Amino acid sequence: MKRTPDEQKIHGNFLPGAVTRDGFLGSDSRHIHDIVLEDSRTMERLGLSAGEIADRLQFFLDEGKKGLEAPVVSGAFTVHVEWHKGSLPCPFGETGLHPKIMARLCSNQTGRCIRFSQMNIHLIRRHGFFEGIGSPLRLDPEELAAFLELRK
Amino acid sequence: MDNGIIATVAALSALNGFLAWLLVLAEKWLADYGECTIRINGERSVRVRGGLSLLSALAGEKIFLPSACGGRGTCAFCKCKVTEGAGPLLPTELPMLNKKERAGHVRLSCQVKVKRDLSVEIPESLFRIREYQAEVGLIRDLTHDTKLIRLTLVDPSEILFKPGQYIQLESKPYEKIRQKVMRAYSVASPSSETKSLDLIIRLVPDGICTTWVHRHLKQGERVRFIGPMGDFCLHEGEGEIILVAGGSGMAPMVSLLAEIREKQIRRKVTYFFGALAKRDLFYLDEMHTFEKDIQDFRFVPALSSPAPDDVWNGETGLITTPLRSYLEKENRAAAQGYLCGSPGMIQACIKVMNACGISEDRIFFDPFS
Repeated sequence: MKRTPDEQKIHGNFLPGAVTRDGFLGSDSRHIHDIVLEDSRTMERLGLSAGEIADRLQFFLDEGKKGLEAPVVSGAFTVHVEWHKGSLPCPFGETGLHPKIMARLCSNQTGRCIRFSQMNIHLIRRHGFFEGIGSPLRLDPEELAAFLELRK
Repeated sequence: MDNGIIATVAALSALNGFLAWLLVLAEKWLADYGECTIRINGERSVRVRGGLSLLSALAGEKIFLPSACGGRGTCAFCKCKVTEGAGPLLPTELPMLNKKERAGHVRLSCQVKVKRDLSVEIPESLFRIREYQAEVGLIRDLTHDTKLIRLTLVDPSEILFKPGQYIQLESKPYEKIRQKVMRAYSVASPSSETKSLDLIIRLVPDGICTTWVHRHLKQGERVRFIGPMGDFCLHEGEGEIILVAGGSGMAPMVSLLAEIREKQIRRKVTYFFGALAKRDLFYLDEMHTFEKDIQDFRFVPALSSPAPDDVWNGETGLITTPLRSYLEKENRAAAQGYLCGSPGMIQACIKVMNACGISEDRIFFDPFS
């Protein structure tokens, strides 16, 4: 698909080294709009909104922040948050900055863990963007909903 | 039918291509601003190529404003007053400027494009910021995710800085990363050592510059940095000096402690250092040496999550726990707090210090927070 100059500029923000080391697309060659569209269909099928997912992730991230880098047990999960100096701009070009906060959330029952950042939460909430397939911080909506016990 | 569709698609693609070409031409010809003059502090002028950001244009003239985000408008270090010629405030600047700054013509120099003659006001102290070439003299693992980098200065061969200040190190392209970025790191060596600088750099997950430092930077390699910058420094006073840091926040504290030792400052000094487990502690020998050399200095490391096999008799819990119990023992209203670490840690420690009678104006923290 052809991109306008503005779209090309925005697309550049998603590539490695522009905003973050690894970028947001991984090995996914689809247009960003198509990634968003496909994930939104999954969300629709699950009966969930991006806001619900983002709220749940934000809850755990906020719980983790209380630990000042020490792990925090929150219900059936343990969350470990690292808050680094500096902040990142939204790759979609939206005004505003997002602190460099990284969380590792583990299920106490299964031992399974996911990693996500404050930027992930913003991208999901505001843009319905869960990152491209192969991106280190890609959160597959279906797997995420199951992990967070949000399935309806 | 099919031929018709193909012809329409081809025509639209051609039109698209033509419009894109027109845009490129327009960018080249219409956005050619020629040479512009930047008048600095009403005293001197420089001629620069129009179209660059004010930050880049000034850097081209060897006038370096602090910037930790590579001109993305995210760190707000590069603020300066633009009294003429900057045009209206941009949406990218608004979140970084308060009401007073907006009224006072303060702008983000990385966002302001030089399109016509400009008048700017730059603090005199920033003219002391210079560009340096250095050689990596030493790389040493301090912990599993933190390295000591010693830079031996090449050109110029000496640097003058105040303890607590920082420099901006420029990374190099690596793997898929094609551009260079600049990131700020506090100096972790005494200011009396002018021929080299120590930096303490912790690996940031997905961090562009720290990944380069940790995985690609080699001993003997030439690097570029600018500095010194920042006003995090020791303030005059009679009361106790309370230092609190975590992780690479150790860096400016080492420099401040060296100053206290060298100047024989006779104030009580207590340094709280937070770490997760024993494997995250470092510079313990250096701290013991400071305890011997500085008359009334105590180093208090605290582990928040000691590993099961950690043999540890020291403080445990979040760093705020030993800090609070220490501060509550007596009136610390005259004390000064110096903080460096994660923004979360700094926020939590400020709350504790405030609750224990240390007012906001006596608490200082590093500029990255």
